[in-house]
Amino acid sequence: MATRDSLIKVTDLKKHYNMGAIKALDGITTEIFKGDVMAVIGPSGSGKSTFLRSLNLLEEPTEGSIIFDGIDITKKKYVNESGKTVNLNIDLLRQKMGMVFQHFNLFPHMTILGNMTLAPMKVKGMSKDEAETRALMLLDRVGLKDRAGAYPIQLSGGQKQRVAIVRALAMEPEVMLFDEPTSALDPEMVGEVLDVMKELAQEGMTMVCVTHEMGFAREVGNRVLFMADGLLMEEGTPEQVFDHPQNPRLKDFLAKVL
Amino acid sequence: MDSFIKLSNFSKVWPYAQLFWQGILVTVLLSVFTVVIGFVLALILALMRLSNFCPLGFLGLDKNGHRRQRGFLAAVGRFNPLNFLATAYVEILRSTPVIVQVFIIYYGVFSLIRLPSFLMFGFIRFERFFPGVVALGLNSGAYLCEIIRAGIQSIDGGQTEAARSLGLSQSQNMRYIILPQAVKNILPAIANEFVIIIKESAITYTIGVQDIMSAVNAVKGATFIIIEPLLVATAIYFCLCFPTSKLIAYFERRMSRGDKR
Repeated sequence: MATRDSLIKVTDLKKHYNMGAIKALDGITTEIFKGDVMAVIGPSGSGKSTFLRSLNLLEEPTEGSIIFDGIDITKKKYVNESGKTVNLNIDLLRQKMGMVFQHFNLFPHMTILGNMTLAPMKVKGMSKDEAETRALMLLDRVGLKDRAGAYPIQLSGGQKQRVAIVRALAMEPEVMLFDEPTSALDPEMVGEVLDVMKELAQEGMTMVCVTHEMGFAREVGNRVLFMADGLLMEEGTPEQVFDHPQNPRLKDFLAKVL
Repeated sequence: MDSFIKLSNFSKVWPYAQLFWQGILVTVLLSVFTVVIGFVLALILALMRLSNFCPLGFLGLDKNGHRRQRGFLAAVGRFNPLNFLATAYVEILRSTPVIVQVFIIYYGVFSLIRLPSFLMFGFIRFERFFPGVVALGLNSGAYLCEIIRAGIQSIDGGQTEAARSLGLSQSQNMRYIILPQAVKNILPAIANEFVIIIKESAITYTIGVQDIMSAVNAVKGATFIIIEPLLVATAIYFCLCFPTSKLIAYFERRMSRGDKR
């Protein structure tokens, strides 16, 4: 455990709305290590999604720090290796964090292949041929190579989410953030998406998953975070959290969902 | 009982048909140029209004580099001069009459700038036509700005989040993700604005642009009849606007059909 490399270190992270009247996050401290598959669970409104979205600054934190790759990304400027103060490049940072959304957010005016190749070409400057070859390889992995020319509207929910996952993977991120990836799916499609995520976890990808799939959290996750009221209530291995819960809120929550 | 319309008067208008044909050409040209100028201006204005340009942003940061939540400095840090200018422009243009704007442009601005005096197509007086286009373009830019802004804001925020999370910059997001979808959504509204401009362009006859209304005026001056040429103008405007708006409605229905998402 001691030798694991830290990837993201979160300290006392707070997100307040309306001048502090609403505290979506009220001081979260945790650390994400390379290779972690972290499941974030909790009742709705507990701040799980806000926490996840803060990690790649889709939400701007009110207080606290997030150290990613040695840089505090909550600050607009940082001091680089050569001692110079430079502006934080959010775009560069987000390339290293893939994100998958509850509602897929595929680009409806582009084909699947277009969705997959846009960011590698425009952000990484990859050639069209290379981007397409790699995109087709990724699509093949999730069994959707033959749908490369289709538009998102022609795909089922499960297919859309699988595309969304490989679209994020095409940027070769260091960590993948999943924001309730199966919540908007019909029940029979949940499995196909979880299978892709499971495979990804087995390959050693660092993942943070906000999820309501307790089975997935227990089976695939190596750490489980339980949040409620914007606070981190309990953290541990799946066995600890699911089999020996300590916090009364967690016990209550598990009684309802299991 | 005397009718206020006399059929015999229409035959007196007939010799001036050429003026009406020229008027149609001027009105259509005026409207097309106006929409083009208006659209380009509106796009710039809309992007200004939605921009994130805060040159005093550093004043809004506290000593830890976090954004301040309240107070005067927080407000100063959030101040966006581009948004302010564009908003002021739009609100002023939308809150004043077109005819005032046309007069200010023609008698004010273009009294300082000397325009070359020549004839387009052998009859359109450029030094009158150009100020008319500029004035109407500036005006419709304000209205189209609001249309474009609404179009951009109608795109689901998840699109921006997905684009930004992939590492696309704000301007790449606009260019590749938001604008292509927004423009498709607002094409009918832009076409409607075109119909509005066809009607509004009648105002430019007051600065001597030879549009349809100016043909009416010329006939009135020469023959002292007014109602009949006005009815001709009414028919022409109707024939320009009604089919156009029907055509737009048709394409609107067709476009929304393939757009269930």
